[in-house]
Amino acid sequence: MNNRSTSGSIFVAVMGIAALVFGILEFVGGEWGPLTVEAGTFTAWRAVILICAGLIYLSSVSNFLDIRQLGKSVVASIMIWIVAAMDIWAMITASIPSGAEEAGEPWFASGTEFLAAYGPPYMPAMCLLLPSLVILYFVGRRRRTAS
Amino acid sequence: MGPTVDQRWDLVDRITKKTVEVGAYKPTLGDAIANVTINPWTGIPFAIAVLYGFWTFFSGFAGLFTDGFFVRVFGTHWIPWIGDKLAGLPDWAFTILVGDRAAFAADFVGDISFAAGGILTTGLFLPIAIVLWAVIALFLALAILEDTGYLPRLAVLIDSVMHKIGLHGFAIVPTLVSLGCNVPGVTACRPLETRKQRFMMIVLLGVFIPCGAQIGMMEELVPELIGWVFLTLAIGYLGFGWILNKVWPGESPEILMDVPPYRAPVWSNILRKTWNRTRHFLLIAVPFFLLGCAIVMVLYASGAMDALAGGLEGFLVTLFGVPAEATPSLVVGFLRKDLAIGLLPIGAMTTYQVFKSVVLLTIYFPCLATFAMLLRELNWKEILYALAFLVVTILVFGGILNLIGMAGGW
Repeated sequence: MNNRSTSGSIFVAVMGIAALVFGILEFVGGEWGPLTVEAGTFTAWRAVILICAGLIYLSSVSNFLDIRQLGKSVVASIMIWIVAAMDIWAMITASIPSGAEEAGEPWFASGTEFLAAYGPPYMPAMCLLLPSLVILYFVGRRRRTAS
Repeated sequence: MGPTVDQRWDLVDRITKKTVEVGAYKPTLGDAIANVTINPWTGIPFAIAVLYGFWTFFSGFAGLFTDGFFVRVFGTHWIPWIGDKLAGLPDWAFTILVGDRAAFAADFVGDISFAAGGILTTGLFLPIAIVLWAVIALFLALAILEDTGYLPRLAVLIDSVMHKIGLHGFAIVPTLVSLGCNVPGVTACRPLETRKQRFMMIVLLGVFIPCGAQIGMMEELVPELIGWVFLTLAIGYLGFGWILNKVWPGESPEILMDVPPYRAPVWSNILRKTWNRTRHFLLIAVPFFLLGCAIVMVLYASGAMDALAGGLEGFLVTLFGVPAEATPSLVVGFLRKDLAIGLLPIGAMTTYQVFKSVVLLTIYFPCLATFAMLLRELNWKEILYALAFLVVTILVFGGILNLIGMAGGW
């Protein structure tokens, strides 16, 4: 079975470089257009995870459709999904309570506050979330080819 | 007369030909992912991502309910209301049930939920507002890790490190379970092969692994220090484990562990498992919380706490380098470690003193529920050695942390 796929190799190479760059941005911190990195307890951990995901993507460029190489790309994608899912989880948990502490004030955030919590700027992993889902197309393609 | 050996082998051959397909094995994507996650080069970064997810899910979940709603329910509504309704009680009854009257004065500055201290105030606030949500989040995340099949792979990854201290990778299972509650963590040590390994694991869990209640308190009061506290505990876990392995007689044989394939979790199983563990935690821990609060308030009301803190002040201040104001909370730590973290006079301490005190309170005497489990799992001789190890660990670890602080001028 031919394990080469030019489009697949280009995809993981681009994802690998993007994850590396975004991981470094996590270390540096700051705001760039719709992207933001808020310094916090886990900033360094997120950076390490994104950089490692980038390196794992890059290591799976050759023979991309070989099952072992594809396995590595899927694991790198899962790492990005975990970080992005936790960023979204943080948005959800911040959007529900009003944050007020005094009696008589509302318990839940208003509709406007709720929606505003989901607006930009976004964390780097969230920007990688959608492109990383393309890996599912290659998983399906390999499955079809194998069968 | 039954079939001969040859006839039986013929039968085996015929069944095999009909049922077994012979050919080159083709690994599936699931196999490839399983291999990638146990290869150290790719598995360790993946483990970091999983543990990051585990921890941030826990922080977000606990933060949503605790900070978002329950701190306000108790601090703004329940505690002032109960203080007002029971204000007419005699002083001794008010102190035990509601707490310190000074916390209810109009000019009081501070967090009434921690400062009150009574059974119906702080005694309910801690388990319901802080600990419950932390414990649910930990058990939920742990159940997901278990049911997807990731936990055994984490055990494979960490195996070589654990061998250095006479244990093996499976030790990660009771360790992670103990992060929710030490009681099931101690029970989870049973599959370990030898008495030596079980003893070592139980002692290390009791001393160095904070339970969900303590983690919830740390997350609420000193979130910026949690990383350092965990790093220090991990160093202690491995360092004292290594020493214990050298001095404690017995064997540390290999273990053969089944590593199941990855599976999508069944959510009804996850929820049932989380509910069972949370219910178990509530039934065991909440009565001990209330009892702990009651004993502490009786000691305060009778003046015994002041006498005890005064008597131990010189020793604790000299050995551990904490301010005199922190000694009552370190004394309370013998009864309830989590409650003691809430009583630390954080405003009167340097950051390093807070860090040191939180570490000391974590490695204090195990809670009563865990101690009851130790009595069940260990014999009297092992219990005495475990207690001796505990005392030595507190003194040595606390002393070393104090020396580091003195050297650094903190």
